[in-house]
Amino acid sequence: MLELKSISLERDDTNIIKDLSAVFYEGKVYAVLGNNGVGKSTLAYIIMGLESYRDYTGSVLWDGRVINGLSVPERARLGITLGWQEPCRFDGITVKEYLTLGEKKQFSIEKLVSTLDVVGLPRDYLSRTVDSSLSGGERKRIELASVILMEPRLVVLDEPDSGIDLMSTNMIQRVFNSLSGNGTTLIVITHREEIAEMTEEAYLMCGGNMLKNGDPQEIIAYYRTACDNCKHVNEPLKGVN
Amino acid sequence: MALATNYEREFQMISDVYEKSGGDASRFLNKEIVSVIVSGDKLIGRNTVDGVNLKFRQIEDGIELWIDIEDGVKLKQPVHLCTGFLKERGRQTILIHNRCGKNSEVKFLSHCVFPYGLEFTHKMIADTYVGEGSKLSYEDVHFHSDTGGVSVEAIYNTRLSKGADFGNFFNLTQGRVGKLRVKMIVDLDDEASAQIESKVYARADDEVHITEELNLNGKHSSGLARTIVFATEKSRATIINRAYGNAPYSRGHIECKEIIKGYGVNVGTVPVLFVKDEKAELTHEASIGRVNLKQLETLMAKGLNEDEATEMIIRGLLR
Ligand SMILES: Nc1ncnc2c1ncn2[C@@H]1O[C@H](COP(=O)(O)OP(=O)(O)OP(=O)(O)O)[C@@H](O)[C@H]1O
Ligand SMILES: [Mg+2]
Repeated sequence: MLELKSISLERDDTNIIKDLSAVFYEGKVYAVLGNNGVGKSTLAYIIMGLESYRDYTGSVLWDGRVINGLSVPERARLGITLGWQEPCRFDGITVKEYLTLGEKKQFSIEKLVSTLDVVGLPRDYLSRTVDSSLSGGERKRIELASVILMEPRLVVLDEPDSGIDLMSTNMIQRVFNSLSGNGTTLIVITHREEIAEMTEEAYLMCGGNMLKNGDPQEIIAYYRTACDNCKHVNEPLKGVN
Repeated sequence: MALATNYEREFQMISDVYEKSGGDASRFLNKEIVSVIVSGDKLIGRNTVDGVNLKFRQIEDGIELWIDIEDGVKLKQPVHLCTGFLKERGRQTILIHNRCGKNSEVKFLSHCVFPYGLEFTHKMIADTYVGEGSKLSYEDVHFHSDTGGVSVEAIYNTRLSKGADFGNFFNLTQGRVGKLRVKMIVDLDDEASAQIESKVYARADDEVHITEELNLNGKHSSGLARTIVFATEKSRATIINRAYGNAPYSRGHIECKEIIKGYGVNVGTVPVLFVKDEKAELTHEASIGRVNLKQLETLMAKGLNEDEATEMIIRGLLR
């Protein structure tokens, strides 16, 4: 359903994404593993088509069609969405308004409450404001709830667990189940092995490229041995593999 | 509420626009609520309660009004003021003198409705004195015609005694602005605190001038002056936020956010900070720019188009 073909993106004379190719099939749950700065968030932004990341080369294909020219709202209309690594704050907008996009979407209160329940928040959060009065973890949970309510065809979750208690892996699992239950394809960016273990296939990113892909257990094992002690920054070692 | 004779119809018309601007007109008929309704240069209704004294005087093109709140009076319901002008052309002058005694608590909710103004000028000066330990807030919501033919000058001069707490909020976010000049000046005594804030949505060739000033004259006084303007199309805005730290341990923060949309806008801001005491501390924050791109893209990634996303962000900011 989503195919990335030889994607490259240059910033300050370096390629932060380098000739990257990958394929994601409908309904599957993928992990993208990789150290800090290897280009994971950048990849997410390229898939979403953010304005400052539209100057990539290569092709993003959706159901076999090149969508390079499509803007964020156009990609969203195809069913692509993004769960941000650091979701931003909005002054004066309540959680309820945020989840319903200012009442543009009609969800029953029960639906909103049960979705908040999936991310481990009680119903009184509906009247809270999505500004700096929410803690980082709470804000992140609201973002996950909003993604679930969208029922997207594909979501890139950029480190869904960052800023959330270590103990909450159950919550993350519930979020994945809830999304997959609706047939959503998940691309989960993470550093954490227990999160990657919840997926069906994993990609390992290094230096702006996909170094390996396959069974999550194998990729995790490789990541643990090769990447944990890796000294190079953003540059795959020659001969590793 | 004592309705002056022959003004029922005018009262009804004012009530209708008042409701359109977000007010609740039934409050004017409530005996427990202090209220004053002015239409054009006439006082068409008023009500008061124990501890709050009202006095009026007819002046040229308007009304002069004294509101005196005795010591220790804590009003559960806000004082409702409604100033309207229902004709297309003319002038209106409103002079308000608010005096609040010691240890009192009162909120003012003022609506100014000029729904048909084509060539109309409104001038309002509110002089407010807040006694020791009292808490007073003054919220002014404006609703103008969509012709752009309304000119408003609103001046708020406020003096805060020791330990007084004050809020002054100006809001013009529905309909056109026309020409607007807002000036809020607050003098603070020891341990007094103030928050003053203006929020304006400017369209077409609207013109906005806002000055907010904090004079932190007392020890441990503190203030926050904030302006948020959304300027679109060919509108112009000049915002001046000033803070003077004149006493030890006084603290002030001024903040201006101008969000722009459209190629024809012309906006600017000048922050002014002056300190006369080594132990005073002042800060400022100012920004001019388009709607935050990340916020915009966050909402667009959920399916809103650019205009819908902008509207949602701005509505939140101006709330
Ligand atoms: N606009 C930019 N200009 C220059 N360099 C950039 C820009 N955006 C990203 N980079 C660089 O590109 C690299 C990849 O960044 P990216 O945020 O995609 O990493 P990441 O894998 O998501 O890291 P993390 O695990 O820390 O979230 C980093 O070295 C970053 O500094
Ligand atoms: Mg990242």
